Formats: sequence, structure tokens, C-alpha cells
Amino acid sequence: MRSVTDTSASSSRDRPPAWFDLEDDNRLRVGGVWRLAQVDRLSRRLERAGLAGRTVREVDASGLTELDSAGAQLLIRTAASPDAIAGVDRRFRGLLRRVADAEAATADLSRTRRPGGAGAQLALIGWRTVGVGLRVWELLGFIGQCTGAVAKVAVRPWTLDVRATFHHLQATGINALPIVGLLAFLIGVVVAFMGALQLQKFSAGIYTVDMVGVAVLRELGVLFAAIMVAGRSGSAFTAQIGAMSLNEEIDAMRVIGLDPVGMLAVPRIVALVIALPLLTVYADLVALAGGAVICLALLDIGIPLFLERLSNAVDETAFLIGLAKAPFFAAAIAIVGCFEGFKVTGSAASVGRRTTTSVVEAIFTVILIDAAFAMALSWLNI
Amino acid sequence: MTGRATAAEKPQPAVSVRGLENRFGGILLHDGLDLDVRPGEVLGLVGSSGSGKTVLMRSIIGLNRPSAGEVRVLGQPLAALHGRPRRALLSRIGVLFQNGALFSGLTVAENIALVLKLHTGLAPAQIDRLARQKIDMAGLPQDAADRMPAQLSGGMRTRAGLARALALDPEIVFLDEPTAGLDPIGAADFDRLIRELQRSLGLTVFMVTHDINSLVAVTDRIAVLVDRKIRLAPLEELLKDPHPWVQAYFRGPRAQAAHGAAGSGH
Repeated sequence: MRSVTDTSASSSRDRPPAWFDLEDDNRLRVGGVWRLAQVDRLSRRLERAGLAGRTVREVDASGLTELDSAGAQLLIRTAASPDAIAGVDRRFRGLLRRVADAEAATADLSRTRRPGGAGAQLALIGWRTVGVGLRVWELLGFIGQCTGAVAKVAVRPWTLDVRATFHHLQATGINALPIVGLLAFLIGVVVAFMGALQLQKFSAGIYTVDMVGVAVLRELGVLFAAIMVAGRSGSAFTAQIGAMSLNEEIDAMRVIGLDPVGMLAVPRIVALVIALPLLTVYADLVALAGGAVICLALLDIGIPLFLERLSNAVDETAFLIGLAKAPFFAAAIAIVGCFEGFKVTGSAASVGRRTTTSVVEAIFTVILIDAAFAMALSWLNI
Repeated sequence: MTGRATAAEKPQPAVSVRGLENRFGGILLHDGLDLDVRPGEVLGLVGSSGSGKTVLMRSIIGLNRPSAGEVRVLGQPLAALHGRPRRALLSRIGVLFQNGALFSGLTVAENIALVLKLHTGLAPAQIDRLARQKIDMAGLPQDAADRMPAQLSGGMRTRAGLARALALDPEIVFLDEPTAGLDPIGAADFDRLIRELQRSLGLTVFMVTHDINSLVAVTDRIAVLVDRKIRLAPLEELLKDPHPWVQAYFRGPRAQAAHGAAGSGH
């Protein structure tokens, strides 16, 4: 005969908080406080005594003073079956029965696990590919919807929601001035600095002005303004429309007979298409100022000389090319931002996910359009 | 019924509120409010919209610091506790917020496991077992365990919230409008569930509700929040209360229907 006693409370108390006592291999007496706080220690001791998992055929539970659902679970998992537990106080019978039901319900499920392995991975790749295809398809559909809605407004300009448009013009344009200005200035400084360091080696420091002029006006001014706007306003569009979507405002519009795309997307697209070219002009000017500061500090090129050199180096085509890209970038950012906003479903977490996607896709699209412009222009020899 | 009262002395109230005062921007919501919740009872809290039911519950569970007054939960001042004693006391209460307030980034099972992980040192397998037990006890099918909250219906989300509230086998659970947004059958199921759990686990239940059927079906006593104070009595006594709001509430057409249904059910 083997006897194991839990003597966790080695203090002089006559009864430890939770105890069990194995009288012979198939008769277990339990007692004390079998609650969540004791379960960890109890289950480890039961395991050490070789009693883990439905082995004991007879359990005498008459010594229990307190029991909760965690303790009851442990008790049931120790006994060969719930019927093997005898002598339970009347207070605990309902609980024990309820926990036994729960154990029976959960037991068969914990055995069935999801299939894994190479097949599942392959299927996942397939589903992802289909998902990407569907997204592109949906995005094309949304671009069509937006074009239709904007065209409607273009034909009848008085139907444009002027209040909303001006609101977004303020939010995406005027409020972006400080951060876009700072960024553009630093870009001008960095480009001029790099150019000055390299060109000085060939005593061609003056060409720094050419480099800054062409790079900023043709590419960098508009590109960085667009990236900033994508991060600032594209994400905001997604979050705003996404929150409305969660609140079922979009559905409410549909039911009332309002067109959500016309109501929400059009003012944002129009506002951004106006705001980004203006921001681009502003960014160009500030970036050139940053370049001028470096030229003055590093190369001793004064402001009058800088301006003179600049007007020789670049003509208005460089500036216009940069400016011409702005509306396309703006439309791409606004459409992607709104599209992702409309795609929000379910929970608040979805808003966060969609916002991230919106920024990534908007910047990606902007650079894609920029590359397309570069190729088209080189083909046209401009 | 409780099965928990180790000391058989005079039972200490599960919740006691003394002289509670809550003021929001010049509006007095509660004025010297007293309330005692007995251990092991199901107490329903009713009151008109904007009367401060939710604020009262939030004051009790320490989410709202009252302007004046004393709140004790299981004999301890929850709002004044910090660190270890606070965590110990929090592990003895469970809260079901409106619509469940599940963490939307975690599955149902993970929502429950999070609580167990935080308050116990159990092994992951054991935590998972307990989480699945709670899911079953809250009346959810097992395949709900691995679903995200967004994939659940409103009623299932409430049940999942209840499962999380019960994770630590608390002594008191606070339920904020648990049957709001459930259909009558779902609400009746939920009432039965609360009763059953209250009996088998020996819970004290504090329930804010507008659902008159729920009040009739499960509560032992009803606390009515009128005139910034509490009137606390079993339903039969409240029916005799002459206060106009109480009369309108418990004698209104919907209340009559509920009494009728309860009467025929017995």
C-alpha cells in the first residue's frame, strides 16, 4: 500500500489549505480548499504522485471545504469518471455537475486540431493570390465609381459639397504647411550638401545649384509632398471613413438614398487634387531655399548668384513637369485612402489594419505613377 | 448557497456604498446614496436613462472616483488600494461591460486566457483547459473559442464577455445591461444562465438592466435609482411603493406583461 499525502502547509495548522491522501492505488481522499489559487500546486503534486489524468477509480471528496470551477476541473480530471467522486457536500454538487458537463463538451474538441503542413501552406499561398487579384479588381471598380461621381460634379459644379471640400482643403492643405515645409527644407539641404561635397572635388561646386534645381523641381518637391500627404491625409481618410463604416453610417446613407462615394470620396478627392499642387509649389520654394542656405554656407555662393545660376540651369518645364504630376498623385492617394476606408468591417482593429495598408499602397502607387511619368517623358524627350 | 463563507459570523455585505455623491459639471447624479449588496444574491439596478446607473456601477468597481462617500467591495475600499492588494481584490470580482468589451485583437479563448495568465501562474495547457471550460459554462459552442470577437454575433459576444468575467471564479460579477440587444429568447436563455451560474458557483450578481423580464426572472432584490438615491426591495414590495416613477416602471404595460408571463410560468 502506497500513501501520498500533500503536506504543503508544513506549518502547525491542523488542516492544510488543500490536501489529498492516496490510501491505496485506487482510493483517493481529498479535502480543504480546492480553488484556483491552489490548483497550480495541487496539480503538480498530483502529477508527482502519478495521478495525472483520469486514473483514480474512487475519490472521497467529503473533506472539501471550498471548491470553485478550477478546482472542480482538476478533481474531475483526476477521477476516472465524474461518478467516481463520492461524498461531495451538497453545496458543491451543482457546480461539480456543471463542470463535468463542460469537461465532456470540451474533451472531444481538444483532440481535433487544425490540419497543418505543406498542403495548408500551399493553400494559403493560393488564397492570398486570389485575394490580391480580387483587391485589384475591387480597386478598379472603385476608381470607376469615383470617376463617375467626380464627372457628375464636374458637369454640375453646384452639386459639389462646398463646405466639406473646404474643410478637407484646410485639413489636408493648410494644416500640412508646417510639416511639409520642414521636410522640404531638409530635403533641399540634404541634396545640396551631397552635391556640394561631390562636385567640389572637381571644382564644379557651382553645379550644385543646377543639381538642386533640377532634382527638387522635377522630382523631389512633388514626391516628398505626396509622401507626406499620403501619410498625413490618406491615412486620415481611411480612419474617418472606416470609423463611419463601423458606426453603420455608410449603410444609413445608402438606405436614405445618398451615394456614399459622392458624399465622402468626392469632396476628399477634389480637395486633395487642389491642395497637393499648391503644396508642391510651396515645397519647391522651401526646398530651393534650403539648397540656397547650403550653397551660401559651404560654397560661398551668394543668394543673387544662386538665383542667376538657377534661372540659367532650369527652365519652367522642369517646374511644370513636377507640378503636372501632383494632381495624379493626389487622386491616387485620395482614392486609395477612401477605398480602404470603405473596406473596413467588423472591429476597431480593422481600422488600424486598413489605415496601414492605405499608407503603404498610396506611397507605392505614387512611386509607380512617378516611374510611369519618367518613362513617358524620356520617350517624349522632354 | 454561497459555499464560500468560511467564517460563519454575521455575513459582511458583498458591496457596501455609504453616502455616495457624484457630481458632473454641476449636475448632482447621486446624493448621499446608500446601497448594500448581500453575498449570494442577484441584485438588479434600474433607473431612468441618465439617472446614473452606469456611473454607480463604475464607482463601485473603481473606474470612477466619486465626489464624496465610501465604497467597499468585499469589505475593502477598492479605489484606495494599489499594487498587490488591489490585484488580489480585482481577482475576486468580474465585470461584464456592455457588448462584452472583448479585446478585438485576441480570440475568445485568448481573451479569457489573458486574465488567467495575469492572475495565476498556471501552465499554458491548463490555462487553455480552463478557458475552454469557461466558454462552455457561458453557453458558447466550443468552435467559438478560436474565433475573433468581430466574427461573433452580439449575443455571443455578451456570452464571451461573461466567460471572461468568470475566468477567475470571482465572488461577485457586475453585469452592465447584459440582455440589451438580445432577442427575447436569447435574453431568457441568458437569464437562465445567470441563475444557473449563480446557484452552482455561489456568485453574487450585481446587474444593471432595463429588461423588466430579466428583473422578474432572476433578481432577488431590485435597487431603484430615483431622486439620486436608492430604493431597495424585492419586487413584491416595490410594487407597493407609492413613488410615481417606481409605479410607472413596475405598473407600466410592459411590466404588466412581464408579471403575467412570470405568473403563468410558475
